[in-house]
Amino acid sequence: MARDKEKQPEVQYYPEIPPLELATAYVPPQVLGRTFTPAEAVQYGTLFPELYRPYPYGIKTAR
Amino acid sequence: MWLYEKKLQYPVRVSKPDVRMAGYLITQYGGPDGELSAALRYLNQRYTMPTGRAKGVLTDIGTEELAHLEIIATMVYKLLRGVPPEELRRVDLGPHYAQHDNALFLNDANGVPWTAAYIQATGDPIADLHEDLAAEQKARATYEHLIRLTDDPDLKDGLRFLREREVVHFQRFGELLDHVHGYMTSKKLF
Amino acid sequence: MNGLESREQVRLLREIQELEFAAVEWNLFLDTHPENREALEAYNATVARLNEKKRAYEAAYGPLVHFGASASAYPWRWIEDPWPWEIDY
Repeated sequence: MARDKEKQPEVQYYPEIPPLELATAYVPPQVLGRTFTPAEAVQYGTLFPELYRPYPYGIKTAR
Repeated sequence: MWLYEKKLQYPVRVSKPDVRMAGYLITQYGGPDGELSAALRYLNQRYTMPTGRAKGVLTDIGTEELAHLEIIATMVYKLLRGVPPEELRRVDLGPHYAQHDNALFLNDANGVPWTAAYIQATGDPIADLHEDLAAEQKARATYEHLIRLTDDPDLKDGLRFLREREVVHFQRFGELLDHVHGYMTSKKLF
Repeated sequence: MNGLESREQVRLLREIQELEFAAVEWNLFLDTHPENREALEAYNATVARLNEKKRAYEAAYGPLVHFGASASAYPWRWIEDPWPWEIDY
């Protein structure tokens, strides 16, 4: 195995050294940055600007 | 156990009644990719998740989905408020009126009743989390369809809120997947 | 059903919605980042502000949560209209 589990006695939340495994799905973990104000957050649907993904309806997305 | 807070998570507004849209929107109430499916799926899967973190994420997101169920119900309620039966009949919701008057019911946009066949719990945490990720994408896509089906800007705002929540939930399930994967892998070494 | 709520009640509810939504977001973030100190402080700070707003709201409009979360004036205020789906925001 590329990763030595014995060096990590508890579950590592952020893997130190990806190599990513085959046949495994990964979603990159969020790193905390700035936040919207609570009032803005309710409008956007999230407190975190980096998670804001507006829906550009009416515009054809990339094929 | 569950407590109820007498307050919506989001200030739901509609510009005017819209019976046809209410008929479409009901898919997110009792349909396959709707909020009831999401809530029951996560709240049911949590019993056999392996770590406190996993149980926490599934409990919390499952609970938030119940709040979203209430938002959809409120949207439908407001879209149908004061609408006479003739109007419901005009847009082919006569069958609904015959059985339910203006009451909500837990079916999809075609009137198909909700079923536990919409959800799964394999008991394998990795498989279950992948179902949860897929569910969030399907819900997001459905909200995009609904946003395109209405021209009511107030209703669109609420649908955009719900859509963005699915994006955030997907992120949390993704983060949880890595944690559970690491846990399952490390367990096998003992 | 319409018009039972005052603009003041709606204003307070919206403030609570905003703060509570921030709390939900911090809660979900902490579920997958349990050792992030900044997030935990932000959550606790939000909780403090939220509880202030909730107490103010409940003093005027009755309990927000049932089953023992907060006391009620007489007569039993929990059942008062309007209910959330009836309110004009």
